[in-house]
Amino acid sequence: MKLGITLFVLLAALPLAVRSDFVLTIFIFTFIYGILAVTFDLIFGFTGQLSMFHPAVFGVSAYSTHLLVVHAGLPFWLATLPSAAGAVLLAVVVGSICFKFRLKTFYFAVVTLAFAEMIRLIVLNWNSVTNGTLGLVVSGRPTFWWPGAGWVAVRGPVAWYYVTLVALAVTVLVCVRVLHSWMGRCFAAIRLNEDLARTLGVDVFRYKLLSFAVGSALASFAGGLYGYYTGYIDPGYLGINQSMEILAMVLLGGQGTLAGPIVGSLILTGLPHVIDLRGELRAMLYGAILIFAILVMPRGIVGSLVAWRARRAA
Amino acid sequence: MLLEVRAVTKRFSGLIAVSNVSFVVAAGEVVGIIGPNGSGKTTLLNVIARLAPASAGAVLWKGENIGGLRPDQVATRGLVKTFQNPQVFAELSVLDNVFIATHLALKRQLGVRRVAELCGGGRAAEAALRDEVEEVLTLCDLTAATHQLAGNLSYGEEKMLGIAMGLMCRPELLLLDEPGSGLGREELTNLATVLVKVHAAGTTLCIVDHKIGFLRGIAGRVIALDHGEKIAEGPPDQVLDDPKVVEAYLGTTRARA
Repeated sequence: MKLGITLFVLLAALPLAVRSDFVLTIFIFTFIYGILAVTFDLIFGFTGQLSMFHPAVFGVSAYSTHLLVVHAGLPFWLATLPSAAGAVLLAVVVGSICFKFRLKTFYFAVVTLAFAEMIRLIVLNWNSVTNGTLGLVVSGRPTFWWPGAGWVAVRGPVAWYYVTLVALAVTVLVCVRVLHSWMGRCFAAIRLNEDLARTLGVDVFRYKLLSFAVGSALASFAGGLYGYYTGYIDPGYLGINQSMEILAMVLLGGQGTLAGPIVGSLILTGLPHVIDLRGELRAMLYGAILIFAILVMPRGIVGSLVAWRARRAA
Repeated sequence: MLLEVRAVTKRFSGLIAVSNVSFVVAAGEVVGIIGPNGSGKTTLLNVIARLAPASAGAVLWKGENIGGLRPDQVATRGLVKTFQNPQVFAELSVLDNVFIATHLALKRQLGVRRVAELCGGGRAAEAALRDEVEEVLTLCDLTAATHQLAGNLSYGEEKMLGIAMGLMCRPELLLLDEPGSGLGREELTNLATVLVKVHAAGTTLCIVDHKIGFLRGIAGRVIALDHGEKIAEGPPDQVLDDPKVVEAYLGTTRARA
């Protein structure tokens, strides 16, 4: 907790020292992907369910937030709420089907992937709403109230840096509370020994669904922010490569930790910018890092550090 | 009547593991179920705890047919089972293992008010549970191992942890699947002491085991199974002297000798 607060303060102070748009941009993407990776880890690392549905939630929320702003005239922040509700609804429908049929590991991954593809194809072909492959241009900006200045739009890297940093911090805080409650204990029980959890009175179906829904609701904010930050939404948001990127971040950083996915997000977001790479080469780098992480550090960077500290303390 | 097993049969594609078994368990009893390996003891417990569906017959808990319930719903009603091969959450500490088992206690105590825990509330309930967890750990002689990883425990300790977790669910009836198997003599004595204490505290016990001497000491009534059928029932001494039981355990020649 102390470490988390220290890191937050350091990150909050960063724009005072670093003026480079390039660096801030990397951090903004890190924070948005961090939200996705942390919430994915809630479902995968903490509850043990390898979901491939996260990009669908991310993409649909990006579209729904934007469409709600444009067509319903809602302010950005207000529009994220029905989007989150939509994400929960999607998660409950898909999760209910998967968990009712007790799909585990590969089967759960493959079926959630199929659902994600189904939704991607709907988004791709629903031209009247989504504009198909061409995607949508997002011209609006989130606004917030600033003392003395009134309502101001989020503009420029520094403002976006703080908005996304706070969004990530709130996400992490919610995850910490959930994981330290009885819910977190049930998630761990399901991950480690489902049969034992059942005989101890844990409603496995309900808690898997809860993890899936909470993770999806929080991930929906990442979708809304991403669309507004980049100013562009297309069906690629829902693609399988997004799933692979999120998975790579979590495995590299350390599954079953909250800091791990953020570290993974920083490395995998930063690297391609630091070493300028073409799309295909970037995909290869992801693959190589994934293989390396699994072979050398199955617990990921943060997981290995935690284990190393525990060994030293013992 | 707490538990009523009515003509339960369990078939595994052709193999009849449990055949037409009926018995009852009243509140406050300690019932032992004995039988040689493969006589259907574990299967019978699994059917009662709903880990396996019965092929025929019914299981009644306080008069309610629990045949359609999930295992967690059965546990919620106060019917909790421990495993023969110790099942623990290996990556967590002993304390965390037992704390996971407070799930039902917290649910009964707070209900939806558990949500307060998300905002940092519910501390009082959690503190009370912590005391109870420590009590159970002391009872099960696990205090020294509290902060060890469950995966690093000895076999005997893992079995005791299984019982500790079962107890944390505050069961009315605890089904114990061969709690004594694989234990040394000293561990067995400890186990008997723990079970006597648990019973004295008001928990009804149903113990499956084939250590006859162990059961003779604590069970008030014993049911003997062989090839999935009930072959005897009554006070321990009477059942253990029953020729059919002796034959099932030792074979015909030895029984006659």
